[in-house]
Amino acid sequence: MVELSEIGQHVLSDKKAIEIQGVGKCFRIYHDLNQSLKEKVINFRKRGYEKFWALRDIDLDIYQGETISLVGPNGSGKSTLLRLMTRIMTPNEGKISAHGKIAAMLELGAGFQPDLTGKENIYLNASVLGFTKREVDAIYDEIVDFAELGPFIDNQVKNYSSGMYVRLGFSIAINVNPDILLVDEVLAVGDEAFQAKCLEKINGFQRAGKTIVLVTHNVDLAAMISDRILWLENGRAKKLGDPRDICGEYHEFMRVDIEGTDYGTRRIVFTDVQILGGDGRPRAKFAYRDPMILRFAYEAAEPVERPVFGFGFYDHLGLMVYGTNTKLKGIQIPRVEGKGTVEYRIEALPMASGRYFLSVAAHTEDGLVNYHWMDKMFYFDMESAGSDAGYLNIDCDVQLD
Amino acid sequence: MKTKLKSLYQYRELLLNLTRKEVKVKYKNSVLGIVWSMINPLIMLLVFYIAFGLFFKVQGTGIEFFAIYLMSGILPWNFLANSLNLAVGTVVSNGNLVKKVYFPREVLPLANVGAAAFNFFLQSLVLFAFMLILRYHFSPWLLMFPLVMLLEALFIIGVALFLAALNVFYRDLQHLTEIVLMAWFWMTPIVYPITYITDKLPGWAQQIYFLNPMTHIIQLFHEIIYHPSVYGPTTSYLSTKGIIGTTAFSVGFVVLGYLFFTSREGRFAEFI
Repeated sequence: MVELSEIGQHVLSDKKAIEIQGVGKCFRIYHDLNQSLKEKVINFRKRGYEKFWALRDIDLDIYQGETISLVGPNGSGKSTLLRLMTRIMTPNEGKISAHGKIAAMLELGAGFQPDLTGKENIYLNASVLGFTKREVDAIYDEIVDFAELGPFIDNQVKNYSSGMYVRLGFSIAINVNPDILLVDEVLAVGDEAFQAKCLEKINGFQRAGKTIVLVTHNVDLAAMISDRILWLENGRAKKLGDPRDICGEYHEFMRVDIEGTDYGTRRIVFTDVQILGGDGRPRAKFAYRDPMILRFAYEAAEPVERPVFGFGFYDHLGLMVYGTNTKLKGIQIPRVEGKGTVEYRIEALPMASGRYFLSVAAHTEDGLVNYHWMDKMFYFDMESAGSDAGYLNIDCDVQLD
Repeated sequence: MKTKLKSLYQYRELLLNLTRKEVKVKYKNSVLGIVWSMINPLIMLLVFYIAFGLFFKVQGTGIEFFAIYLMSGILPWNFLANSLNLAVGTVVSNGNLVKKVYFPREVLPLANVGAAAFNFFLQSLVLFAFMLILRYHFSPWLLMFPLVMLLEALFIIGVALFLAALNVFYRDLQHLTEIVLMAWFWMTPIVYPITYITDKLPGWAQQIYFLNPMTHIIQLFHEIIYHPSVYGPTTSYLSTKGIIGTTAFSVGFVVLGYLFFTSREGRFAEFI
């Protein structure tokens, strides 16, 4: 196992591995995507499109031996930038040049031929990455070992499990020993042991003075292993700098962005959801041990038999912190019709600081059909004293002898 | 252009591997595997031999060994047809690769041509073996076989590069290719002797007919394999002008096709 503290300690140099100067990439969004000759002839020159700049004005020098992460929300252009670095796409503006052999992990096992064996695919895939048979011969055993495929290496790839598939893909990309490794969201493959192995390999890469460019949503992982982070937003560089600074700011920024959804058959519809303080007035911030009242107004156009009303608190990753409903509380509601309200009274909130999301639900007694489920559409903030980790504030003293 | 060619050279091993894959995947899970490549022309030959040699005597063509005549045209034609049919869609069908990994994209159609060339070569060997058994009079020009094959390959590569690149933007080409190939087949002297054309068509139509590079290429194959000066028809319509023209055309086509392809390959990933 690799010590986390070791990751991020690498050999830096002042030589540039990748130079990006004023790069912009523009996609055409066609109003009507007609890709046939007939339509092209008929609508000659009439085909309307809008320009969409996926990236603009990006300047970045990546130095040899550096690990840099590209972070940003969906659609911010980080994968496009990576694609430009690999030369899969060419920029519409500016210049991009790379010095050294590049291996890109954009999708593991891309280009595997299902009908060829693992062994044949290793050679084929490595040559797709631009490596020769002799180079692959030297590291063949390493690739197979790393992928933990054992005797399966002589089986056709189509018979592999999805885990074996990505392990082999990862193993090829990382073992062919490129100068520059481009990684797109693929470090999350395999089980924990395999992930640890991947991180260890990445660490070895860093110590060997290789350049790594990583695209990820996981800013914590980025902060852990990289020297610098480039934060992209709407195709432009929002911030470039020290991982720890950016990490905090990024979390802060992303937190505001809740994406709630609601769904259900709507035989019962919530018309109003209120988060109230102990005094019955709306509140958005609570302190440790504060009381809370949740009041949901609903409407049922037709009578509904034996409904269940519930709610849940979730953290920013979507994990449930607490949840309950009328059935769990031992209350049976025989039937509702027309307007009504449900009120939950929480005596004292036990949670630690942070933002918590609220889901509200009405469903059948067996829970199989949702009448209305408002998923994480509301939130409140907890401000608790203390710096303990986790969801809850637990009174805990320390004593040393 | 120079750097592009250099990078193509660097990826020569990929070309080889992809070609090998094309050959292998075609006969995946079959017991005989590559032997099928050889059985195919053998059966075709036997059928022709029996049908045309024994049942319907082909009259008035002046062609002895009609089966050999047919084969010496059909095999190189298949080289063209197989190459183009696969190459036209190759960038699109390898979309997962094109979108995820960089490599010189021209490798893809080249691999199709390579695989078809390999099959063509194998099948020709079968044909030659058959001719040996028949105690056929080999033409000394048969030694030029690799050269003629190279000429055809150049022509095919040129067309394949154009088709593969254009098909990314206009997918109709894939379907069009099949139809055009069928028409093209009949506009080339493969199943009929060229004298049919020279005897029956008016002058201007003949001129158009001889603009078809495949007319000259197939005639070259007839010349070196079928050996018309021994087996007839004695009049061959091969001309120095035609051969030089076809060669110049093929070379020019490869260069243009390559330029066309490489100038557009940067946009492939967006369109697939």
